[in-house]
Amino acid sequence: MGDNPEANPTDPNRRAFLRSLGSSAAAVAVAGCSTVTPSNADRQSGSRIEDTVSITLRINGKDRPLRVDPRTTLLDCIREVVALTGTKKGCDHGQCGACTVHVNGRRVNSCLSLALMHDGEEITTIEGLGAPEALHPMQAAFVACDAYQCGYCTSGQIMSAVALLKEPCDGSDAAVKELMSGNICRCGAYANIVCAIQKVRKSGSI
Amino acid sequence: MPTTPPGPGESPVGRSTPRVDGPRKVSGLAQYTSDFNFPGMLYAVPVEATIASGRVVKLDLDTAGKMPGVQAILHRENIGKIFRSVLGQGFDGICEERRPPFEDDVIRYYGQYIALAVADTFENAKAAADAVRVGYTREKPNVETDLKAEDEPNRLVSTFGPKERLQSQRGDADAAFANAPVKLDQTYVTPAETHNPIELHATTAIWDGSRLTLYESSQGVFNLRGVLAQMFGLPKENVQVISRFVGSGFGGKLFPWTQCPLAAAAARQLGKPVKLVLSRKMMFQSVGHRARTQQRVRLGATPDGKLVSLHHDYVYHRSMLDDHHEDCGEATAFHYSVPNLRVAFGRARRNVGATADMRGPGAVPGLYATESALNELADQLKIDPIKLRVLNEPKIDESLNLPFSSRHLLECFEIGAEKFGWSRRNPEVGSMKRDDLTLGWGMAGCTWIAARFPAEASLQLRDDGTARVACGTQDIGTGTYTILAQLASEKTGITLDKIEVALGDTSLPEGPLSGGSMVTGSLVPAVFAAADNAIKSLLTVATTTPGSPFEKRKFDDLAFERGRVFVKADDPARGVPFAHLLQLANLRLVTGNGKSDGSFGDPNAKFSTHSFGCHFVEITWQPEIARLRVSRVVTAIDAGRILNPLAGRNQIEGAVVMGIGMALFEHTSYDRETGAPINSSLADYVMAVNADAPPIDVHFLDYPDKEINQLGARGIGEIGLAGVAAAVTAAVHHATGIRVRELPVKIEDLLT
Amino acid sequence: MKTFEFIRAADLKGAIEGAARAKTAQQGADVRFVAGGTTLIDLMKLNVETPAHVIDINRLPLDKVETTPDGGLRIGATVRNSDLAHHPIVKQDYAVLSEALLSGASTQLRNMATTAGNLLQRTRCMYFRETAMPCNKRKPGSGCPAIAGSNRMLAILGASEHCIATNPSDMCVAMAALEATIHVQGPKGSRAIPIAGFHLLPGDTPQRETVLEPGDLITHVTLPAPISGSRQVYLKLRDRASYEFALASAAVVIKIAGGNVINARIALGGVGTKPWRSPAAEAVLLSQPATPANFRKAAEAALRDAKAQSENGFKIELAKRCLAHALQMAAKG
Repeated sequence: MGDNPEANPTDPNRRAFLRSLGSSAAAVAVAGCSTVTPSNADRQSGSRIEDTVSITLRINGKDRPLRVDPRTTLLDCIREVVALTGTKKGCDHGQCGACTVHVNGRRVNSCLSLALMHDGEEITTIEGLGAPEALHPMQAAFVACDAYQCGYCTSGQIMSAVALLKEPCDGSDAAVKELMSGNICRCGAYANIVCAIQKVRKSGSI
Repeated sequence: MPTTPPGPGESPVGRSTPRVDGPRKVSGLAQYTSDFNFPGMLYAVPVEATIASGRVVKLDLDTAGKMPGVQAILHRENIGKIFRSVLGQGFDGICEERRPPFEDDVIRYYGQYIALAVADTFENAKAAADAVRVGYTREKPNVETDLKAEDEPNRLVSTFGPKERLQSQRGDADAAFANAPVKLDQTYVTPAETHNPIELHATTAIWDGSRLTLYESSQGVFNLRGVLAQMFGLPKENVQVISRFVGSGFGGKLFPWTQCPLAAAAARQLGKPVKLVLSRKMMFQSVGHRARTQQRVRLGATPDGKLVSLHHDYVYHRSMLDDHHEDCGEATAFHYSVPNLRVAFGRARRNVGATADMRGPGAVPGLYATESALNELADQLKIDPIKLRVLNEPKIDESLNLPFSSRHLLECFEIGAEKFGWSRRNPEVGSMKRDDLTLGWGMAGCTWIAARFPAEASLQLRDDGTARVACGTQDIGTGTYTILAQLASEKTGITLDKIEVALGDTSLPEGPLSGGSMVTGSLVPAVFAAADNAIKSLLTVATTTPGSPFEKRKFDDLAFERGRVFVKADDPARGVPFAHLLQLANLRLVTGNGKSDGSFGDPNAKFSTHSFGCHFVEITWQPEIARLRVSRVVTAIDAGRILNPLAGRNQIEGAVVMGIGMALFEHTSYDRETGAPINSSLADYVMAVNADAPPIDVHFLDYPDKEINQLGARGIGEIGLAGVAAAVTAAVHHATGIRVRELPVKIEDLLT
Repeated sequence: MKTFEFIRAADLKGAIEGAARAKTAQQGADVRFVAGGTTLIDLMKLNVETPAHVIDINRLPLDKVETTPDGGLRIGATVRNSDLAHHPIVKQDYAVLSEALLSGASTQLRNMATTAGNLLQRTRCMYFRETAMPCNKRKPGSGCPAIAGSNRMLAILGASEHCIATNPSDMCVAMAALEATIHVQGPKGSRAIPIAGFHLLPGDTPQRETVLEPGDLITHVTLPAPISGSRQVYLKLRDRASYEFALASAAVVIKIAGGNVINARIALGGVGTKPWRSPAAEAVLLSQPATPANFRKAAEAALRDAKAQSENGFKIELAKRCLAHALQMAAKG
């Protein structure tokens, strides 16, 4: 492919990590780099996933030691490995915003990031904001303003909305709409989403 | 937005009621199909055809089959038996793509599934699917956009049964048009559109012996159960379909698609639960789309604007095998008073995936054409477009010769015009300005069918003072959970926080498809009947339980109100709480079942039942940078009684936003060479974002339509989309002088 | 996604040595740096990029924005687009860059995407992104179906018979107008590349998009001192109001004195195969009165060599209006 005729992406033996490199080989070849290497020795017995790597994500205030496939996105890690399914997959390419979570307090598209890139970082998902019996003010405002319909993009909308209140924004409806445009709501509940955000902004509750 | 909940003792019906499922939705706990995970679950990823016409001649699985974590690569030779399904009675056995997956080696559309990689993780399954090498013989696909009706007989077969190409006629349309003093003859085109709910279609299949459980993103779990039971040769009762929350569908999830039997076949073969979630790209290929339409409208009129003839001849595309009918003439024959009319259609096969219902199927593209034609006629006659519509307002449904159950379209025009300020409109093109912007004002009417599907529901009164109301229908974001709680509260006086609602499961009483804007209207009588029967059961308990304060009373002496049983002659406030009676009788609960008939397609109907409305749209136009934006919309809707104005307004606003997208952005393009839907991503298929949504003022007329149900509630899911595009294109013409007759309106159309 | 080795770079030297093993730093590279991931992970999911080694440079000390002794600005490679857009000096002195950054993508993506990553943003051509299709950029010699296919979004400037893919970056357009310099460290040492010479025209090697060689790591970008009294505008035109790539955009830095343009730097986006600086438009404006008529003349000059494809001819007029209007906005202050 392209300039790189030797790369054979469909080689069945090409696993998550090239065996030929290994950790020691990499360490010699690449001074100053730490190859994140899977280890057979510490692989949990019974794990079905080969070539996984140990990382720790701090999710919603709790350290989660995990073993992940290097290819696993932060989104799939949260949903399929950690089984926190409030964060949604809508496009898997950063084009809808349904997967929005906070990393170290900033909103990002978790679908375009590898879980491995976030070892030791602080992740907040919708479940970390509040539960039905103790909703975060933004969650409560979304209910009060009917700022959703089907609810599928809602987690991402709320994660964006909460982050937005701490971002540079003049507070006008127009600015809020622009800064919420990375979260597509196909049901079109946009006016009510703005209503919920402005309600929380005016209340000063966060 | 006012969201006053009901006060003590007040029914929530008709009041702005925050959704009862809201706290779960906002905390991430509402579970959609792909959120269910099971021990040992495998992940399946389909292999998609990368041609649109031809044959598979070679399937090289050597590499893929050896990749890490792969459990199986399933294909035509090893998938196991998947039967065909046929249309059943009523709304049963419906399937837009009838061919079972892998049935033959012929490829008829780009993205058709060829194989299925199943592995222990999503990453491994996807890598394996990508590593499957497919050899084809290729033929040039036909994705020609110009549509010509194929030579077919008048009587046709469609997905829903037989149809006549000559859909409706009265008088002599040809002669009347030929002799009409004023004529309009234009063709309007709407592109293929993709539903694109944000929730990807998904199936998780689990077998237990000969029992199949499907978690499925579905707008119609009962139909899906029936189709899948046929496809796997099972009795219906062996199949359970669960769809607790649906990330919307807009029609695309009404009927099963081929990923569902694929997941079920994989789970059958591997003996483990299998989860299959489509990619966004697949959403453009294999789960339906709104057909491209080409519609010729001919209007004949008198110089003062009375219609004398109406021709509506339309052609739509469909897939190579299937027969979905895009009924663009849905509203044409009854919406206007015209003595001479002919509505007819034709079809054209293309190498595209199966076409399907999309929000306001038929009527939405159809009304774009007919309402646009009316607007053009108004301009031609130099009369106000509202006046033209008033002149041609029918007194009865002239196609069925039946009275309308409740039609207040003229009042919609009055209210909409007033709220919008229509009287200030200067009809001269480009004449209206605000700041540095040119304004364009346009309007259009809209209508959508109102009817009921058959429905069943159950209601339980429980000894802790709570109630549970259940129906197998699903909530696709339209607020069905909340409506059921409101209806139960209305009948029992139990407050919403004490009502549990169960939906989205074929093990519950059979409920309707979430389609046609019919769920709310269908459920009212069923839930009311269930509540009445639960109360009857409770009163029987009250008169028969030893120690009951009503032990000596006759059944007919008793009444039930606001959660209390009392003697009719007495003050209701002195009644006994139902929970107390149940406790006395050592009963956990009493149950009432309710059932109501459908009215959809009733040949003996005494009324023509539809909802009506209109949209007024303002656009701003900056020719110096060719920037067009919709700046405000006023919509007036006559949809019977609105049970939850909070969710109702939201529905209409959302539909208007989709209408703006339809008018200005949305279209699926097929690559001429390969037949691929080439803009198959949410970056390239442009839908409205928050910044595109203008202020939308929605006004409901709120006239109950008692022909539909006791509360007079019709549906509102689709009507808000109908007519918007025609109002936008009228506004575009008013601002720019350019008449766009092929959607969407693009910048290049306006750069003159 | 194809499997790969994930390497966390601890220092610059290690990152560079790791990447120097690659056969190319261009399309199909077997070693890739990852920072924000918004381009690379996206393309890896599509199998358009299939690196065997991915080197994470997020922990390298490349995330600072600092003033330089000559009054300019030094922007680290991993400075996130949001942070750069909202940096007080950028807002104050390089408004065109702030506006361009904020017009691109969404807040979430801007929180991830980095300065260096944005310099290397890949085209949105739909044929490039679909591996089942021919594409000379992705698979040299396979052909360009966009020329006879869907090309509404594609380039009208700088295209060749082999490739008409648009460079989609907004940031780069502003940086072109600001005359940024890109600083690279590689196996043979460091070098400074003016942005005008950083991106390549497709010619007959569309797979080569920049001058980068294996092991080259962009460490930072410098901007020259701001032109005092200059006015800056970034204007982006697209179908919907936000979260979409440009059909046409213009970055304008002009200085007007006594009614005449005394300095002008102009670049166009959404229309070129690279961020499109327009010396021709600048020449038309220089020393001439700042009038709408002259702005239109400059726009005509900027698009003089534009070539339309089957669906994108309108972009010629659109880009002209975009530039003329941006100049007018700048002139009005």
